[in-house]
Amino acid sequence: MIAPQFNTEMEFFMDPQRCIGCHACEMACAECETNGQLPMITVDYVKRATSPQTVMQICMHCEDPACAKVCPADAIVKDEFGVVMSANTSRCVGCSNCVLACPFGVPKKVELSDLMMKCNMCYDRTSVGKRPMCATVCPSGALWYGTREKLERLRPNSTPINTFVFGKQEVKTKVHYMMPKGSTKLVVD
Amino acid sequence: MARPPVSEERLAADFGPHLNYAPPEGVPGREEPDDIVETHCCFCGMQCGIKLLVKENRVVGFEPWEEFPFNEGRLCPKGVQRYLQDNHPDRLTRPMEARPGEGFVPVGWEHALDRTVQEIRRIQQQYGKQAFGMLSGVSLTNEKSYLVGKFARVALQTPNLDYNGRLCMVSAGAGNKKAFGMDRACNPWSDMTHAEVIMICGANVSETFPTLTHWVWTGRDNGAKLIVVDPRLTPIARTADLHLAIRPGRDSALYSAILRELIVHDWLDHDFIAQHTSGFEAAAEAVQDYTLDWAETVTGIPASKIAQAAEWWGAAKTSFLCHARGIEHQTKGVENVSACINLVLATGRIGRPYCGYGTITGQGNGQGGREHGHKTDQLPGNRDIENPEDRRFVADIWGIPEPELPHSGYTAYEMLEAIHRGEIKGLLSICFNPVVSLPNNNMVREALDKLEFYACIDFFLSETAHYADIVFAGSLQEEEDGTVTTAEGRVVRIRAAVRPPGEARRDTAILLELARRLGAGDKFAYETSEDIFNELRRASRGSRADYFGITYEKVEKNMGIFWPCPDLDHPGTPRLWEDRQFRTPDKRAHFVPVKYHDPGEVTDDEFDVILTTGRVVSQYLSGTQTRRIGRLVDQYPEPLLELHPALALRKKIADRELVRVVTRRGSAIFPAQIVETIREDTVFIPYHWPGKKSANQLTSGHLDPVSKIPEFKISACRLEPTGQTAPPPSETQAWRAT
Amino acid sequence: MLSSLQRNAYIAATASTLVLVLAIVVGSRRLQNFDPALVGYLFGTIFACFGIAYRFACWLQRPPTWRFFCRTGEILFSRRGPRLIGIIFSEAIQKLLLQRFILQRGKRRWIGHMTMAWGCLLGFAVTIPLTFGWIAFTLKQGTTSIYVANAFGFPVLQFPLHSFLAFLIFHVLDWASFAVIFGVGILMYRRITNPGLIATQTFRDDWLPLVLLMAIAVTGLGLTLDYERLKGSVHQFMAITHELTVILFLVWLPFGKLFHIVQRPMQVGVDLYRRLGAEGEQAVCPHTGEAYATAMHIEDLKTVTRQLGFDYTRADGSSHLDLSPRGKRAALARAHSKARQESGGYFG
Repeated sequence: MIAPQFNTEMEFFMDPQRCIGCHACEMACAECETNGQLPMITVDYVKRATSPQTVMQICMHCEDPACAKVCPADAIVKDEFGVVMSANTSRCVGCSNCVLACPFGVPKKVELSDLMMKCNMCYDRTSVGKRPMCATVCPSGALWYGTREKLERLRPNSTPINTFVFGKQEVKTKVHYMMPKGSTKLVVD
Repeated sequence: MARPPVSEERLAADFGPHLNYAPPEGVPGREEPDDIVETHCCFCGMQCGIKLLVKENRVVGFEPWEEFPFNEGRLCPKGVQRYLQDNHPDRLTRPMEARPGEGFVPVGWEHALDRTVQEIRRIQQQYGKQAFGMLSGVSLTNEKSYLVGKFARVALQTPNLDYNGRLCMVSAGAGNKKAFGMDRACNPWSDMTHAEVIMICGANVSETFPTLTHWVWTGRDNGAKLIVVDPRLTPIARTADLHLAIRPGRDSALYSAILRELIVHDWLDHDFIAQHTSGFEAAAEAVQDYTLDWAETVTGIPASKIAQAAEWWGAAKTSFLCHARGIEHQTKGVENVSACINLVLATGRIGRPYCGYGTITGQGNGQGGREHGHKTDQLPGNRDIENPEDRRFVADIWGIPEPELPHSGYTAYEMLEAIHRGEIKGLLSICFNPVVSLPNNNMVREALDKLEFYACIDFFLSETAHYADIVFAGSLQEEEDGTVTTAEGRVVRIRAAVRPPGEARRDTAILLELARRLGAGDKFAYETSEDIFNELRRASRGSRADYFGITYEKVEKNMGIFWPCPDLDHPGTPRLWEDRQFRTPDKRAHFVPVKYHDPGEVTDDEFDVILTTGRVVSQYLSGTQTRRIGRLVDQYPEPLLELHPALALRKKIADRELVRVVTRRGSAIFPAQIVETIREDTVFIPYHWPGKKSANQLTSGHLDPVSKIPEFKISACRLEPTGQTAPPPSETQAWRAT
Repeated sequence: MLSSLQRNAYIAATASTLVLVLAIVVGSRRLQNFDPALVGYLFGTIFACFGIAYRFACWLQRPPTWRFFCRTGEILFSRRGPRLIGIIFSEAIQKLLLQRFILQRGKRRWIGHMTMAWGCLLGFAVTIPLTFGWIAFTLKQGTTSIYVANAFGFPVLQFPLHSFLAFLIFHVLDWASFAVIFGVGILMYRRITNPGLIATQTFRDDWLPLVLLMAIAVTGLGLTLDYERLKGSVHQFMAITHELTVILFLVWLPFGKLFHIVQRPMQVGVDLYRRLGAEGEQAVCPHTGEAYATAMHIEDLKTVTRQLGFDYTRADGSSHLDLSPRGKRAALARAHSKARQESGGYFG
């Protein structure tokens, strides 16, 4: 038990328009100690027939995580730093409620072991002050981890937002999306 | 007899490619490594810094090296997975001899070396020195590149030495020498940070140099406009401010028309042109007929877009132009490069902060490797092998009389043609897989069949090594100390993280031993890689690639030194030409007049579609290394034929349908991938795969007359749908196709 | 004021406890077979019963759990019910008895968990009936070497005192202890060597159960050691430490990690739910055009999320939940791309 040493000034920012679909994040995620060789990040084409646009998705770590709420086995918890942890292996019954209820499409069900797994923001790294694997290797800055102050200097015309609207539901998250200057939220559908 | 001793299927079964995956819980030992080695990725010219984790002489993982200034920890998927080339089941650990009917049989070093030296002697006595050739590659460090150059000239005494850089960026090198008198990217990539316009010409940056994307995006964050010239909508082009979807092989028309626009609108830096350049008038005259409308007809890009590009380029105060294989892999590769450089010179935006130009060198040591002498027409320090002064200088350092120093020989593709003709009878190769990477590779296979003796130094049994009589088990990049020079001209340190496994030896040790047995031992008395580097420093002193002031210690302390670095107190030169002292005889930058001409092969009724080739992000060059790494293979398991839905409709091709692609050189079958992100008149196939899946069965052997680079980017082809749907990608096992 | 949820839970817990007490009284023939030395264990167990029932009732009333519970009931009592018995049986063997899903997560881990789990369950199977006085051993009347095992006061088995069977029966808790120590040892080793676990584990949830089980097993073996080798010299110490660790364990059982023992059977219900859903209509993602879940599951989730205070209903009456995970990610990327385009540029 190492007492977590989170650097709370460091935050996670995403900008899918910068993504070049290289999958470095996915391969690096498989090097993370908490999930074995299973990558927890997803990278997919939005629609390859018309565009090379890709989208990468890590867990957004919702303030009020739907995955945890819909879990019938109380297997998902949020820790004191706001990190929504991967399913507790002793509790998870593999029902896929979280997989289907997450508005961001993040959790993955590992069928063979009847277990949900998801990104826990590289807990093994971030809890000792290191940067998450995916954001460290990302060659395009689509995944970025650092201080807000530095980010604002690097990307002067963007604003980080963490409010997303899905239908009538507004969702607030720990992870931010980079949006055009002045934006306050991203309305998805 | 140099042909595969048993069927290629059996060789593939025995020697791979097999896919290496990390075990489900990760490679054991990485949580408590014995050593963390700061070194560089073994793949592309970016040479990203990376830390390798070592446990008990095994590379067990990696950690991002966040302090290294170019990439600050950033990596592409190849970099992340590179550590899996270690501890690979396919790794060659013993020398082998081909025995027809039996396959490759392990033999002792003594036997392998003896036989090779005997055969070299026999062939050279029987047919002359030049009948034994050598092929090399620029994944080798500067030290090994230098050593190969010296080995071929001093120990083998053959003029016929060339390298796979010939398929990489030689057009850019020649173009740069014409314009600047020197061949190096003029700026560090960080000069993109405040460039107002970034123009990327024929470079799929996001897939072939993913970590360079950071610097392009940084420029855009600060307001840069991005112009991308590419027949395909690549990931970097998707969000570009301007994407010029050019018809393959028409590049010089575009840049010439832009130059004309700059002249017409007087978007020129007259002072710079007058004081620091020569040849402007001739260059201007050459483009005077190249109007926007003409360019639209030739390039297929709307005139309005070309005008827009010209206007942005013309009005900018700072800018960065970079290009890569897209414009270089052409019979007018050098002209395309010159046309690009003309745009830079006309606006005078060079030699200042955020005013940049450079080729993006593809191979790991594409930059350093092309400076230090395993190129047939060149001696260390980018010296000219036909220049008497250069010859004397190098001959002195090598301790041989100048007349004994061979002259220029055949370039890579020409050497294979010479083998095919029977002029060259024996071959030694290292770090080159021409069976996959050279164009028209059916001819390459036939040529290798005709060799009387072929010895190959490699760490995996590449498809080319199948043809060898003797295979020497050499070393991986992480098994030998040295330096490489990155695409921006930064000399960086490669560290030996582990020792070669089993009986495998370091490449250097193999070459030194061969030299000794060939009777040149006294000329090759090196103890360490650093000894070789120190000789290289002297050989490059005062040259147009001056490393004299660079030492291992300086490189390590500063995380790299940019050449030129003429003396020990010199800090290196990240940005060239700040002093406006170009290395041409008149100290001026030269405009080169460029007249447009068509590519070597144009479409006609029989072959009505343009075929272009390139790379994907998860594979590297001929795939000898990356086709052996599981996750990289899974990401893009087989080569696909990209084509536009309109073309698919015309040819009645369905998505995933198997299509036979036919050119004058051969034919091959690929599954169709119908996408709107490519021109209607063009199809694309990536080339990393061997055998039946090799795109280079189709490409042409047309060469640029100056640089001798093959025209990989343009062939005329015909599409024949087969009516069959392709099996799932994982079933094709394209990575081990024969 | 108690919420209705809590009230229900209290009722359930109280009722369960009363039933248990009644069962103890009846089963021990009005405490005739009850062993007073075990009274501490008895109260611990009764408390654990209350706690588990309370926690179970709370848990069951959570919308997602209740939904699965009701669905499982519906399935079992539907016409399809009877033909599912075989499936339930085989799933129970695979998932509960053999814990095959853990085998998929790692072989060593499975061996550790199996030995630990079955050691524990064997221990429970012996000690709980003993504590409740449901099982008692007596000498056969008129002999000095034949033992009789009585269940609920009825003799069920008799065996000679010095037989191998007697040896096995009298040492059954030792066998359980050895299994637990072996299993816990493996799992502890994992927890000190696996970097991923080291990063995410907590003392309360991950180490305390292992430490408690280890303590129970070791002190239990200590009791045997004491009367077989040390002639009872440390009996009091062993007895008290054993009793303390067991009581601590029982009291903590409803609140900690080991509650999953009670929850785990739900996995069989989830499997039924999925099998039946697979026979019915499938939810097809409008983005990918592919089926990604059972339609029943998506409809249930829409209800459950609404009950939990989430409303993903879109303006056109459809729901964000109609998208597959991949479809949701694409929707997000498209929305972001659109916002960027409308602002005039992708970057900045």
